[in-house]
Amino acid sequence: MHEIPVQLLNGLVVGSSLALVASGLALLFGVLDIINFAQGDYFMLGGYALWLSLRFTGNFWLSMLIAAVVVGVAGGLLLMAIVWPLLDRSHALVLLATLGLSLILEQLATNFFGGDTKLIRPPIAAQIPVGTVHYPVYDLMIIAVGLLVLMGGFMFLKYAKYGIWLRAVAQNRTMAAALGVPVPRVYALAFIASSALAGIAGSMLVPVTSVYPTVGSDVILRAFIVVVAGGLGNFRGAALVALLLGEVEALGSIVIRPVEVEILLFALVIVLLVVRSRRQSALVRL
Amino acid sequence: MPGIAVCTAMFELMGLHSYYGKSHVVQGISLNVGDGEAVGLVGRNGVGKTTTLKSIVGLVAGTKGRVLLNGADMASRPTHLRAALGIGYVPEERAVFPNMTVEENIRIGAMLLSGNRDSVLTTAYDLFPLLRERRSQLAGTLSGGQQKMLGLARGLALRPKLLLVDEPSEGLMPINMELIARALLKATDEGISVLVVDASFDLLRIACKRLYVMDNGILTGSYRPGDFSNPDQLAATYLGAGA
Repeated sequence: MHEIPVQLLNGLVVGSSLALVASGLALLFGVLDIINFAQGDYFMLGGYALWLSLRFTGNFWLSMLIAAVVVGVAGGLLLMAIVWPLLDRSHALVLLATLGLSLILEQLATNFFGGDTKLIRPPIAAQIPVGTVHYPVYDLMIIAVGLLVLMGGFMFLKYAKYGIWLRAVAQNRTMAAALGVPVPRVYALAFIASSALAGIAGSMLVPVTSVYPTVGSDVILRAFIVVVAGGLGNFRGAALVALLLGEVEALGSIVIRPVEVEILLFALVIVLLVVRSRRQSALVRL
Repeated sequence: MPGIAVCTAMFELMGLHSYYGKSHVVQGISLNVGDGEAVGLVGRNGVGKTTTLKSIVGLVAGTKGRVLLNGADMASRPTHLRAALGIGYVPEERAVFPNMTVEENIRIGAMLLSGNRDSVLTTAYDLFPLLRERRSQLAGTLSGGQQKMLGLARGLALRPKLLLVDEPSEGLMPINMELIARALLKATDEGISVLVVDASFDLLRIACKRLYVMDNGILTGSYRPGDFSNPDQLAATYLGAGA
């Protein structure tokens, strides 16, 4: 039982970073009805952007900021350029386009960075005692940064002008436009914010998981599970389910084997889906 | 068409044609609304009144003609720019943002304004006191009539030069209809021009100075509310317009 505090923290590390990726997916779905298969690859690009900018700047936190901005702006605008002409067409086309983007990004990453894993040492090597073991301070910082970004996102959606506009466009874009909301700009913001959230998560986790071209594939499946279970387009739901998923996985592994934890997770998702199917789902809800 | 001349038109629609696919819904109508004037647009169901309003806002893709606000043509501008330049729209359907509170719904209308936006809330709540009581409630949980009021309060919060209002009295209890009429009158007192589509004789008589009658996509006449002494006379005019 002495493992419980450590596993609780491990669950938060996994959960908070997953929450960033998933809430980005939820945001884009809420505002534009788009499911972005390349979100996991933006997570991967966040890792490489950190690795690359760290070589130039030598400063981890500055590099993380650069990674978030680069993935957010370049990735968001690239996604927008691809998806924009397809917005009024079949949803299947958008799905295929983002799937294509995902494959292209993975291949480009392999060609450019190679197939090996890139390791980065955490910027803080210190550890603090948690129960009977020593816990890395950097992992605690991942939890803190993840939760801060999520809280910031929540406050932004709740109070900021563009946050309120994002919710308005998600709920009724025609009426939002009729009230003067600059819908194209709000769309651009959704693309950028969604990509930046994946970029932050990807860069933040490199010292823990390292980065390789397919690292996003492991993340995206879980992120989809989280977004579906949290309610498509529900920012807070996605964040909470991601944290819950992280904890179930971490605490479950104390008593049962990892493969059984996976089965437990899918069972949890099915239960959540059944419960959710009885309620009306809402778009970009808080 | 019998006409009443208006010297200075703040808003002018010139030769508007609107299409839904191959269907030619609005077939070349021209009308005007003066500064601070409320004008009604009446006609049978399906003659193109709502399409006319949606075309003015820019919500109908297949539209030709000129949409002049203070002489500037809005026809090529996207919907959000028309709103920013002063065309407000209150649709017929309950188009509130259901997962936002009443207050957030009203604030969205005021977000483009500079200066004191809180006064917009005070004005809205003075017009519709019930919205003040329910300001923290999610808009989607309001009754149909309350959502109509919220829609109008939100449209007014934009402080538009021209407010287009589609069927505000439809499905409302008489007491709420009075509130709507009062709100429209107050809007015109403050210099907002109003173009309202409605079938309520009382609302049109209280709020409007002129009425356009529309049938089969064209305007068939323009009148003053005083030209009709009762609802039946008005109804006979627009129901008989196509005969």
